[in-house]
Amino acid sequence: MLLMKYSLPIIILAVFAPVSPAFAVGGVYPNIGETLPLYSIIPFVGMLLSIALFPLLAPKFWHDHFGKVSAFWAVVVSAPLLISYKGTAVYEILHIVLSDYVPFLILLGSLYTVSGGIFLKGTLRGTPVVNTAILVIGTVLASWMGTTGAAMLLIRPFLKTNAHRKNRTFMVVFFIFAVANIGGSLTPLGDPPLFLGFLRGVPFFWTFNLLPQMIITSILLLAVYFAIDTYFYKKEGILSSPDDGTKEPIKLEGAYNFIFLAGIVGAVLMSGVVKWGAVSILGIHRGVQDVVRDGLLILMATLSMAFTPRKVREDNAFTWFPIKEVAILFIGIFLTIIPCLKILQAGTKGELAFLIETVREPFHYFWMTGILSSFLDNAPTYLTFLNTALGSFYTGFAETAAVKLLINERPIYLLAVSCGAVFFGAMTYIGNAPNFMVRSIAEEAGTPMPSFFGYMIKYSIPILIPIFVLITFIFFV
Amino acid sequence: MKIEKLLFPTRFRELAFDSLQSLLVLKDAGLKEIVFCYIIPREDVGFVPYGGYLKEEEERVREEARIRFEDWQKVLSEKGIGSKIVIEVGSIVPGILSIAERERVDMLVVGRKKKVGLEMSFAGSHTLQLIMRSKIPTLVSKYMVEFQWNGETATRVNADIFRRPLLATDWSEPSIRTLEFLTNLKTLIEKVFICHIIGVKISKGLDKMELLRIEKESKERLKDYCKRLKSAGIPAEPHLGAGKILLEILRLSRDLHASMIIMGTTGKDRLHEIWLGSISHRVAEGSELPTLLVP
Repeated sequence: MLLMKYSLPIIILAVFAPVSPAFAVGGVYPNIGETLPLYSIIPFVGMLLSIALFPLLAPKFWHDHFGKVSAFWAVVVSAPLLISYKGTAVYEILHIVLSDYVPFLILLGSLYTVSGGIFLKGTLRGTPVVNTAILVIGTVLASWMGTTGAAMLLIRPFLKTNAHRKNRTFMVVFFIFAVANIGGSLTPLGDPPLFLGFLRGVPFFWTFNLLPQMIITSILLLAVYFAIDTYFYKKEGILSSPDDGTKEPIKLEGAYNFIFLAGIVGAVLMSGVVKWGAVSILGIHRGVQDVVRDGLLILMATLSMAFTPRKVREDNAFTWFPIKEVAILFIGIFLTIIPCLKILQAGTKGELAFLIETVREPFHYFWMTGILSSFLDNAPTYLTFLNTALGSFYTGFAETAAVKLLINERPIYLLAVSCGAVFFGAMTYIGNAPNFMVRSIAEEAGTPMPSFFGYMIKYSIPILIPIFVLITFIFFV
Repeated sequence: MKIEKLLFPTRFRELAFDSLQSLLVLKDAGLKEIVFCYIIPREDVGFVPYGGYLKEEEERVREEARIRFEDWQKVLSEKGIGSKIVIEVGSIVPGILSIAERERVDMLVVGRKKKVGLEMSFAGSHTLQLIMRSKIPTLVSKYMVEFQWNGETATRVNADIFRRPLLATDWSEPSIRTLEFLTNLKTLIEKVFICHIIGVKISKGLDKMELLRIEKESKERLKDYCKRLKSAGIPAEPHLGAGKILLEILRLSRDLHASMIIMGTTGKDRLHEIWLGSISHRVAEGSELPTLLVP
């Protein structure tokens, strides 16, 4: 804490001491990215490194103080921006909060709330076929109820189904691969990066273009899973699951939450189809359809809370804590990413011109987005490389117009960024938010999970990297 | 409705042990076993953002709780009372209720914050949720409390809590069950005070004759309650009050030097109770005396 107490003013001073003309004078709004110095992305890097390193090096400190860490980086970026750019900075902060952060949180919150009201109960026998079927169902559901929703719905039944199995660790790892990541690639509801793309003008159904990549990856993954599970199943010599007299028929409680889920899909779809004009909120123009969408999402979550019996949520071990965590961490991420996005949008005129010049080919985008998504959260990484592409090809264009041009003229770049962000999220525990939730639930239930590096060395590198190499050669070279 | 087994969830806050000791007299009324329970809130050890689960932290907390409970077990063992330790990770309220059901305990004991008062609301607190949802008699234990008395802050120690219970009845089924409950505490009770309050809502707008009729009927019912207790060998004294029910119960409890308040609780009308609080829940919150709610 002492370090944090004194490092805040030091970092603010470090950012401002050699006040660049850009920061000192302030700029006109459209050119902010051209004048921002490179060191203005330090808070963003710091925020992402905090997410990457603290859980690894100081998990207890991180668990107790992650909110303060997020606030620290948010202040470190906001204070200098506000001092130097005044009204423009206020606009940029409000813009990212109202146009990105709030809708992002509302979508995640509503998907989490609604899926938390569905409880799969009953006794299943954890055979390779049953387990693979659960993974297939989860992979399909993930695009429609979000990777977090699908993972939360299925992880406890999956663990319970396999409680009698000796080797369970690999099952949870494949669950993270398929349900918590790859499965979410088909719609903006599936994975947070895709929703951020949707908010920036990527059409709802455009993400279906990821279907070939998603199908090949999923089939390969599930085939490998089936082979491993069959091997262990035979090795464990399990003839049948233990009969303790408590066999319960399979039942889906709170199934009416699928109606609210359909409401969420409909609301998001609607906001991508209709145009009802704009409304100004605190000086930020937002589409009326977007505001209506957010309202409908909140309504769906509220209805789910009102209609779902408390017992169902308790059986699901539903808690608001993970969503609170996302809310706290992502306000830090969204605020600190502002300079980075602005510089990237400035293209070769910005301080990140070297990055734009280095990352040129689609496979560069796939792997760069991917590698960074593995170690940083994939949502901000997606935004970073989407903006890298926009800055590369459409410098000076308004963002929505540039996104449209990218989709029409160079869709392979957006495909590469999208696949990279979603697929590589599975590479580490920190690649995507549901990964750590699944790990936490599995460990609580007594399934030993590999360490951060164990996960990579034993599982993600040997299994996922060859598949991603194949995807590269088929689609991005 | 004998109390042979009770559940004592704790977070090891100050005076928790004193509160436990004040319950040991229940051995004379048939208490055989106390189940100690400690719920490690899932949020304290799980869902580390991007990190997973604090297994070592869970084990540390578990060990700490176990050591403390084992120390308490010695005291119980000396008194000839059996005990069991349950330490689980989960959500506090559902966790405690599920253990109560699983262990088939006869009474749940919940602690509460040190200060009480009518102006304080414990809406949303674990205590309120537990007393609202518990299907078994639940004692809101208050070993030492601060409360307002004639405009000043006073402190009260509730040690000998079963000696002079005040039973506040509204003639409901749960109220009748409290009588049965009290007969099982016979050996601990010096005298029971039974009261009924004719609330403002009832008396308002009634003509005098009707009010007299209600008064007469209430007195007769009170007598009947007393008779039942006396036949079980417990001295009982009827008291009829009128006015605002909550304030009247609190006034009587002080005037009669009661040692605890016992009430039946229906647990109905969840929304109403969340926003306004039922009388029994508000008594549990407002009184400086331990409050036993019998569903």
